[in-house]
Amino acid sequence: MNGGHVNSELGQLQATMQAIEIACSSIQINVNPTAAEATILSLCKSPRPYQTCQFIIENSQSANARFQAATAIRDAAIREWSFLSPDEKKSLISFCLSYVMKHASSPEGYVLSKISTVAAQLLKRGWLEFTAAERDAFFSEINLAIIGNHGLDVQFIGINFLESLVSEFSPSTSTALGLPREFHEQCRKSLEHDYLKNFYSWAVEAAQVVTNQIMNSDAAVSEDRVCATALRFMLQVLNWDFSNSGRVVKNSLDVYSFVAKEDSNSAYTLVQLGPSWRDVLITSGHIGWLLGLYGVLREKFSGKGYWIDCPLAVSARKLIVQLCSLTGTIFPSDAGDSQGKHLLRLLSGIIHWIHPPDVIAKTIESGRSESEMLDGCRGLLSISAVTNPVSFDDLLKHLQPFGTLSLLSSLMCEVIKDLMTKDLEEEPWSWVARDILLDTWTTLLTETNTSGMASLLPPEGINAAANLFALIVQSELKAASASEEKEEYFQASVAAMDERLSSYALIARAAINITIPFLTGLFSERFSRLHQGNGISDPTTTMEELYSLLLITGHVLADEGEGETPLIPLAIESRFPEYVETEKHPVVVLSWSIIKFAEQSLDPNMRTSFFSPRLMEAIIWFLARWSSTYLMTVGEMQSYRNSIDEVTLLQMQQSRKALLSFSAEYTQGKNLLDIIVRISLTTLISYAGEKDLQALTCYQLLGGLVRRKSICTHLVTLDSWRDLAHGFTNNRVLLSLNATHQRSLAQTLVLSASGIKNSVEANQYIRDLTSYMTAYLKDISSKKDIKSISQQPDVILVVTCLLERLRGASSASEPRTQKAIYEMGFSVLQPILKLLEVYKHESAVVYLLLKVVVDWVEGQIIYLEPHETALVIEFCMHLLQLYSSHNIGKISVSISSSLQSEANAEKYRDLRALLQLLQKLCTKDMVDVSSAASEDQQTSISQVIYVGVHIVSPLITMEMLKYPKLCYDHFALLSHMLEVYPEMIPKLNHEAFSHISGTLDYGLHHQDEEIVGMCLRSLRALAFYHYTEREGGRDGLGPHATSYKDAAGNFQDGVLSKFLRSLLQLILFEDYSMDLVGAAADALFPLILCDHGLYQRLCNELIERQPNPVLKTRMAGALHSLTTSGDVSPSADRSNMRKFRKNLNQFLVDVRGFLRII
Amino acid sequence: MSDEEHQFESKADAGASKTYPQQAGTIRKGGHVVIKNRACKVVEVSTSKTGKHGHAKCHFVAIDIFNGKKLEDIVPSSHNCDVPHVSRTDYQLIDISEDGFVSLLTDNGNTKDDLKLPTDDALLTQIKDGFAEGKDLVVSVMSAMGEEQICALKDIGPK
Repeated sequence: MNGGHVNSELGQLQATMQAIEIACSSIQINVNPTAAEATILSLCKSPRPYQTCQFIIENSQSANARFQAATAIRDAAIREWSFLSPDEKKSLISFCLSYVMKHASSPEGYVLSKISTVAAQLLKRGWLEFTAAERDAFFSEINLAIIGNHGLDVQFIGINFLESLVSEFSPSTSTALGLPREFHEQCRKSLEHDYLKNFYSWAVEAAQVVTNQIMNSDAAVSEDRVCATALRFMLQVLNWDFSNSGRVVKNSLDVYSFVAKEDSNSAYTLVQLGPSWRDVLITSGHIGWLLGLYGVLREKFSGKGYWIDCPLAVSARKLIVQLCSLTGTIFPSDAGDSQGKHLLRLLSGIIHWIHPPDVIAKTIESGRSESEMLDGCRGLLSISAVTNPVSFDDLLKHLQPFGTLSLLSSLMCEVIKDLMTKDLEEEPWSWVARDILLDTWTTLLTETNTSGMASLLPPEGINAAANLFALIVQSELKAASASEEKEEYFQASVAAMDERLSSYALIARAAINITIPFLTGLFSERFSRLHQGNGISDPTTTMEELYSLLLITGHVLADEGEGETPLIPLAIESRFPEYVETEKHPVVVLSWSIIKFAEQSLDPNMRTSFFSPRLMEAIIWFLARWSSTYLMTVGEMQSYRNSIDEVTLLQMQQSRKALLSFSAEYTQGKNLLDIIVRISLTTLISYAGEKDLQALTCYQLLGGLVRRKSICTHLVTLDSWRDLAHGFTNNRVLLSLNATHQRSLAQTLVLSASGIKNSVEANQYIRDLTSYMTAYLKDISSKKDIKSISQQPDVILVVTCLLERLRGASSASEPRTQKAIYEMGFSVLQPILKLLEVYKHESAVVYLLLKVVVDWVEGQIIYLEPHETALVIEFCMHLLQLYSSHNIGKISVSISSSLQSEANAEKYRDLRALLQLLQKLCTKDMVDVSSAASEDQQTSISQVIYVGVHIVSPLITMEMLKYPKLCYDHFALLSHMLEVYPEMIPKLNHEAFSHISGTLDYGLHHQDEEIVGMCLRSLRALAFYHYTEREGGRDGLGPHATSYKDAAGNFQDGVLSKFLRSLLQLILFEDYSMDLVGAAADALFPLILCDHGLYQRLCNELIERQPNPVLKTRMAGALHSLTTSGDVSPSADRSNMRKFRKNLNQFLVDVRGFLRII
Repeated sequence: MSDEEHQFESKADAGASKTYPQQAGTIRKGGHVVIKNRACKVVEVSTSKTGKHGHAKCHFVAIDIFNGKKLEDIVPSSHNCDVPHVSRTDYQLIDISEDGFVSLLTDNGNTKDDLKLPTDDALLTQIKDGFAEGKDLVVSVMSAMGEEQICALKDIGPK
């Protein structure tokens, strides 16, 4: 009888195995894949499938079936982990491990690596439960395997397992286990602290054992697979994100010569290890062995078994490069001595890959693979990350008669020479090499904060940099003149080249005293060539060369300010001590020659023949960049940490003074400013339709000028500025500027009022500037035939332009000029309502009108006095109502689906503007700088929001919420409103409230984490308000919260009860980010308190739904401790909330795993 | 009737034409433009240049507002384009005739009977059903360059 039982069980297992095998093969040949998938999934989802899976893995002939069985083990074990007994857990892991060891020589590698990944994941899942002895039991097996006691295949499998283990434990590559982030973090720490170094040593040992065989044989041997894997694993360990232990303490002695540069953008990663790694990596001869191994390999490349790109060679090179970026406390603090030796040793190996550069380049051209050379470049990059220019240069001097910088420079020269002959489309090797080497230069030359003079190169280094820069410019010029015919190339705009150019600029600045005169020479050559050719020969090539030169020079002379005032580059301040006369200062000579050239664009004849829109773009860009650094600059020299002798310092200061007095306020500064403004005016008027050029003029140049107060002071006194302002108000040509440029120009002109000292005059200046706009709008809106003329295209054009300008002016509100801007807006309030009426079908104008109001309110609201506030709010409400009456119930149809979706998008933008308007009004409650005396005069903002929500919410349909930005704004307003003004909720009518709760329900299931978070905050606010009100014996949410009978006579739950249900459903059964658990707890707790009866019922339901008694008791236990453990008491104060958060986290860890499957 | 009205119309629109010239660079997405003698709404504008040191050009993708066809055009951005005079007028719907024409009430109390029902199904059923239910319906009529079409409908509710 017993035998029969065993037999039937065996039969069962075999039947399942066959089913899975058939499913796997039918997926492969694509016959009825859904059914096959369902079969496989049912295995994953079935309770305790371990025996079946193990049976399949051991007996199935089909590799795919074994693969799927392994997946099923993993899924089931992770899900049911908390039910498994300790022995079961361990036996699952050791089953996987012993299987892979036993079948190490199996040809189906992917099954083996899957199973070993499963073992790694399960080991991680149980990591914190297992005792050290239990873990070590597993690892001693692995260690034996890796050392090579069981043959090469097992050795390979052992390392392979460690690879999966380390990648599971590294946070960026780990698999989600449905556990909080802390778990992963603890595992990471534990592995790093207790095991990682041992693993590394095991891999080293394994590799060393097989080294001899590799070295002694000429053909490929099977040992190289083990060796390559071991090297790859070592690289993986070095790439581990080590916690701070190994970082150098700032200001320690080592920093002086060997620095650690952290830069997240770069291609290198620093390897910062603690002193405990010293014996493995530094003192054990590890490096020597590795270099020796690769050296021997190199000699064999010509033979049969190995070649330059074979896996072993690639892994070895990568590891060597990675070891270059070793830094931190792993080196003893001996002023960088041992780190220097370490780098020198590595460099002595790497040098063969890149030296001599010309020979290397030639062999690559004749067909050798470039990968070794590129790795050499990467090695230099890694070294540059841990050295300063001087120590970098010195390294090679121990081996060769020249320094590393000279090598770097000549290497890059070769690369650039090669690049000049290549087509960039094909991404040639030199292109990759150039980027790596440029990175190297940037890393070396970027000023570190530690010492100001760190970027100073030794003399030969300066020459090397100068030569390199000359070659770079030559190649850029050649590219410029060559690319003339290619049409597509030029779209790469100024910004796209930025990164490369700023690296070039760093190189140029390293040799600034040579490169500036060099650039001046190049410019004057081209200027005279233009004039000589005057109209006869085609100037395009020269113009294109000038374009490139302007960009390069702009980068060399000045830094990108990014909104701040950039400093004069240190190199320019400090490297021209011998020039104390303004006219002779090289930077002045160069700047002046360019500005003089730019000035010629004011002459109409010159303009048409030479100053193409593209060249003007470069000129405007250059002027913007130059003026933000040099124009009317004051301030002190950047200070040095390093001591320089006082004489030099004095000279530097004098030379700086000479440089600055070129463009200072008291000398030529005003003149230069005048030239710049006149050039801008020309680009705005004479280059009709050139959007890019005008954008640069409006944003970069003029926008940059008015940002500085000292310049504004002079701007407003200039005739040319007055011309600009006058032209803006009167010249119809400026109406043809692009809409956003209109806005920016208006903003710029208004902002320049900050240069007028007297505030009455400043306000008057703004009135003069804006009165014509408001007058026109008032005039047109009061016309009798407004309805018919408003739809004429020319009227629409003027109206939109003026509205854009009003927007620009509104966004330039400043405390001093607030009055004038308020008056400006106030005078057009009625016209705006009128225009909204007549343009109700012209969506573009409607949107603009709304935006004008939004911008104006945003700028003004915090300054307004109570009566003004009342007026503005009344106006806004009027506006909302008008908009709503035009749009509610409107159906617009179009034959074209794209026009239809346009119409939807327009509606969405309008609504978003309305929501923004409400949000801006809310800010009055937060910040208020008006001189209002008493509270009671103030209009109640909550009242306004209440009315606003009534008007706007019916317009926002669920369809509209699919626009992400609108959705975001809607929920941001909602959560703000509910959190700050919960008292207005009970006053909302039924429709508005059910709309709000409907959208909340929608938002809870949104895929955007942030939106769900805002919904949870809204829920918390709702429930919390209701709860506290009820505690105080008041009504709370009143009728909204109580259950009622709907129109069909069905009994409906109150809204809070509904949310309690849906929130529980969400957190137990649906997908969401674990980061939301805190917010969910905050919402859930008051909801439970509000309706404890319902909560009890729901809990019972949940418990009843569990299929077996074990789960029932577990569920009941978990639910019980959710509301009781940690002394949570039923009151919604802060400490209880905190405890509840903790409980919920624990609760979810306990039950979610099994709940989600059932 | 039409004679008088015509005179009145032309007086009010003295000098008004079907199209206006406007610089290509100022035409925005969402605005109108005439392409191949059809009134269109612009759905996409991009700029490019003629050769490296040449001038900017605007590339318009636009949709015919009456028949929904897509049209494209390239114009130097400093040149002028024709912009159609598109007007929309609201009328109250007073009747739907058997032969598919609608009868609309103008502002000055006359009726306008020369418009056909729209071809769009959604709008058509909305109009027919709404009218049958006795709702007060307002239709918007879009006209440009001598063409007219019903483009939207709004229920102004029982008053």
